[in-house]
Amino acid sequence: MHTDFLKKEFEKYSDITALIFGETSYSYKSLLENINFRKENLSQNYGIGSGTTAALEGDFSFNSISIFLALAELGCITVPLNYGNRKNRNELLEISKPEIVISVNENDQVDITNNDDYNRHELIEILRKRKHPGLILFSSGTSGKPKAAVHDFTGLLKKFETKREAYITLNFLLFDHWGGLNTLFHTLSNGGTVVTVSERTPDYICSLIERHRVELLPSSPTFLNLLLISEAYKRHDLSSLKIISYGTEPMSESTLKSLNKIFAGVKFRQTYGLIEVGVLRTRSKEDGSLWLKLGGEGFDVRVSENVLEIKSDSAILGYLNYPAPFTSDGYFITGDYAETDGEYYRIIGRKSDLINIGGEKVFPAEIENVIRDIENVAEVQVYGEKNPITGNIICANVSLIRPEDKVKFRSRLKKFCRERLQEFKIPTKINIVESINVSERFKKKHIQN
Amino acid sequence: MLSEEEIIKTIYGAMEEINDQLSGENKLVLSHETVLYGLNSRLDSLGLVNLIVEVEQRFQDEHGLEIDLTDEKALSQKSSPFRTVKTLSGYISSLSDNTGKSA
Repeated sequence: MHTDFLKKEFEKYSDITALIFGETSYSYKSLLENINFRKENLSQNYGIGSGTTAALEGDFSFNSISIFLALAELGCITVPLNYGNRKNRNELLEISKPEIVISVNENDQVDITNNDDYNRHELIEILRKRKHPGLILFSSGTSGKPKAAVHDFTGLLKKFETKREAYITLNFLLFDHWGGLNTLFHTLSNGGTVVTVSERTPDYICSLIERHRVELLPSSPTFLNLLLISEAYKRHDLSSLKIISYGTEPMSESTLKSLNKIFAGVKFRQTYGLIEVGVLRTRSKEDGSLWLKLGGEGFDVRVSENVLEIKSDSAILGYLNYPAPFTSDGYFITGDYAETDGEYYRIIGRKSDLINIGGEKVFPAEIENVIRDIENVAEVQVYGEKNPITGNIICANVSLIRPEDKVKFRSRLKKFCRERLQEFKIPTKINIVESINVSERFKKKHIQN
Repeated sequence: MLSEEEIIKTIYGAMEEINDQLSGENKLVLSHETVLYGLNSRLDSLGLVNLIVEVEQRFQDEHGLEIDLTDEKALSQKSSPFRTVKTLSGYISSLSDNTGKSA
């Protein structure tokens, strides 16, 4: 019922390839059949129906996608989790308390376990009363416990009723975040082809692009930087690419410049999405610009005290385990600092990343942008470290392309920065490291002070 | 244990690096009596912090000696280690002695 519009589209696309999983291609017809089969099986053999809370562990695969859609159609409240997340799986299950756990392993085999838990949280009860499917997503907060964000899934699905262009798309972003799911729904609702990914290294990703003539690569700035450093693009034919989208963290101007040069003819599209409000439509001021228009139908955007606030039809009902994150007039406080120029916005960084040096404030990204332009620098991460004299000092972890004398490199870095940055923004401590820590989401890992 | 000469040499190295960042009249003179921070000093707080961290990193790189010049001990000395090059050298010498003994 809730996904009727999608199923109608799937019937139309019939023999077109919906999904490539490993060596196998699946048509829209077979996807539709599998959704129906899974739906019957879940409801008849497991008593799953409207209002059931179900965790679905997996990555993008034929069965996980089919089950995901079957759960939505049945009106379930789904908690997508990454298969193989051993780190905090139990914590996430503890917070979301699903009645049933469905696991889809890397070979696409399905395993279902019933839990004794029954979740009576008031937000879940709201969804049950509405008889709407729900979605619980975890926001990887920089501190403390993950926040369980509860969506009315019908709100998120609505935008896919509008037709857009479809592409052969690499599902690079992960299964348990709206970024990855948004890519999936966008591609399937428009008759595109989803190419699933089992490994997220630059060379493997490039080999998939070459092999399946991928047109759209959704990614993150950190991954794109790794792609540049690895030079994997030189070893594969990537001429099928039309669009590379990036989001999830601020992009550096220098990386974007290099990318535009190497991938001439490819459009770089910045996306802006948050688990709490969904993905906003964006339009860059011009090619290669980090300024963008944000919003579109169903979104209202404003900046209050430099922080971006968003009101959205598809916003979450709230968190299971935290207070509601809205202003009194219903705007979600993003925590992202933004500059405005007329109707354009530029996202500068997380408010929590701001470093305060003797009262002067700076975002790591500004300094990273400069350092990344220095010859022989592979990757850089800037952070603040407490210091009794100035409150904080600026530190930079830098990985190099070729080995270089530490003392000489530090001196070179400072000199370079001096010509381009105000004095207080020049890193005081410079550590040369083997590599910069990257999370499983291809975002730089936070350095705790 | 480091000799005074070695310690001074490393401090001078750090001062030369910092001098690169300073304008002509503010440059630090490489001498034992140069005032680092206090009356008539040429460094502001940011300059001092930069010098301190540069010294720390150089002792680590050149001598494998890990020192913290802004811990409670350093900041609670009766007379500040950062008064002159000589006092700083003396303070580092006492730290390297202690490190030597405890090792």
